[in-house]
Amino acid sequence: MSSPTAERLRAAVDTLANGGSGPAGTKEHARAITSDLTIDEVLMLHSIGWQPVDLVFGLAWWSIPWGVWQYRTGEVAEASSAFGAAVDEASRTLREECRAAGGTGVVGVQLDLDVRSHHVEIALTGTAIRPVPGAHGSGVTPPKGPPFTSDLSARDFTLLLRAGWWPTELVAGASFVIAPRRSARQWAAQKGQNVELTNLTTALYSAREGAMARMQELGVSQQADGIVGVRLREGPIGRGVRAMQFVALGTTVRALGEGHRALAPEMVVSMVDPVDQFDAASLRRRR
Amino acid sequence: MSMPSVDPDPTRSPPGRAGSGDGPSRGAWVSGLSVPSFAACLELGMEPLGLAQGVAVMQWAWYVGTYGMPALPAPTGRRQYSETWRCPHGFVGAEHRSYGFNYEQTWVEGNWANGFGLAYRRMLDEAEALGAHGVIGVVDQMRHTAGSGTAEFLIRGTAVRVPGAAVPSTPFATYLSGQRLTKLVDTGYVPVGIAAALSSVQMIGYCTTQYQLAGSTAMTWGGGGVEPITQVVRAKGAALRLAREHVRAQLGTDALHGATFDAFEHEVGEADFTFQCLVKGTRVRFVGHVEPPAQPGLVVSLR
Repeated sequence: MSSPTAERLRAAVDTLANGGSGPAGTKEHARAITSDLTIDEVLMLHSIGWQPVDLVFGLAWWSIPWGVWQYRTGEVAEASSAFGAAVDEASRTLREECRAAGGTGVVGVQLDLDVRSHHVEIALTGTAIRPVPGAHGSGVTPPKGPPFTSDLSARDFTLLLRAGWWPTELVAGASFVIAPRRSARQWAAQKGQNVELTNLTTALYSAREGAMARMQELGVSQQADGIVGVRLREGPIGRGVRAMQFVALGTTVRALGEGHRALAPEMVVSMVDPVDQFDAASLRRRR
Repeated sequence: MSMPSVDPDPTRSPPGRAGSGDGPSRGAWVSGLSVPSFAACLELGMEPLGLAQGVAVMQWAWYVGTYGMPALPAPTGRRQYSETWRCPHGFVGAEHRSYGFNYEQTWVEGNWANGFGLAYRRMLDEAEALGAHGVIGVVDQMRHTAGSGTAEFLIRGTAVRVPGAAVPSTPFATYLSGQRLTKLVDTGYVPVGIAAALSSVQMIGYCTTQYQLAGSTAMTWGGGGVEPITQVVRAKGAALRLAREHVRAQLGTDALHGATFDAFEHEVGEADFTFQCLVKGTRVRFVGHVEPPAQPGLVVSLR
């Protein structure tokens, strides 16, 4: 006796063989859906009454003027500002594409970020999603306003919505700082010792403060309650050990009307025993 | 000693392996499925028939003429993306880049589509000869054979039969297998085929783009400003959108599921780029109304 899934497959292949298009051929689905979400992610969205709509992109390349990385110390304001403008432009394009596709927001965003000597490039690729018309999965009505952008996965979005929160925007802050050189006296005193290089530590702190403050300012301007899924990139920027970068990127969120809903996950204990490994060395020891 | 003869028809199925519709395949079948995928395939009521493969080797060259004009005529039938960028400075010197171009390399896209399409068609022909309803667990590869200016396209998957079902005029094909294919069927979809497209856009930078990428401003040649590099964004954006639209053109009213989206950029000279984008996925058709799945329960695992 075949399983219900097997019966379903047989019927589906029959439909395919008979040239049937099924409900996908109706006017409601007149525009082909494209998505880079996995079947698990699509199922997760369906469970809360949402569906993918289209692949969408946001791109930006901004120039960084010549000479800003040399003969100076402190923040490279031009690079930080080029980064901010590039994220803003890429995010805006992503939102416009989402709106044009009829989406309510973008999830599953892949971020490609490259900061080079003379330009910053950012590419955002994601899937626009929207509520299935007439579905009541999550019981959440999307707030009115422009489509949201995010760097959330479909799973993150599902959890967030079930908990009564709404993503609003992908925000990022960056700061690029060139640490001051040590004086000859400091260099001579520290030579041959493993000691903290306070000029580099301070530069990294300064970059962190700048980047985090910028990201938080964007959150405040969005009237967000907070920022989730923050990703950080820090360290030397690759054009000299004294240039430090700190990049922070996350998604602003806002509590919906009723506030936070407790998800109360169930605790489970796996009953699966670890697999015993055959250990040839122990056999040799028994001889 | 006799040498084995080479089959002149690459699309012909192996001798003694052709299926006979509803009958079982002769001999032991070959499958590219993992054991869990094989188990899921049986659970779906499918019978593996054999490993269907398709290969095509194409001559591969860039063929770019002067100022980006293609040395080969572009395929006709639709408008090719192109933009011209004009220097705002007036006559400066012979080396000054007075014009810039963004243009779609339709001959590159066409060559890729031909190679992929030939290999794909050959895989389906092999599956058809085995009496298969479809091909699951498809994998594909495109590689340049070093030094010979060729590109090799290879596509393979496991041909399967669905006992009791009518045979489609063309076997269905999908990158999915195992539990993901099971879930797809359980949600009311059926795989139709593979949808894939490559887009290719060449960008020849004009003076402003050249200066911006070198960090100097467009108008004064001095220390530049922080400004958008528009020509590059337009070229790369065109490559991404063209790939999406090429693949959408293959879908009809179906959907593209689980697409992979790979963007490449090659800096072919100072301020000159080639942007390419490859989109591949399974074309799926919704064939039955299925209740949306219940909201999954949330668990925290204690270890």
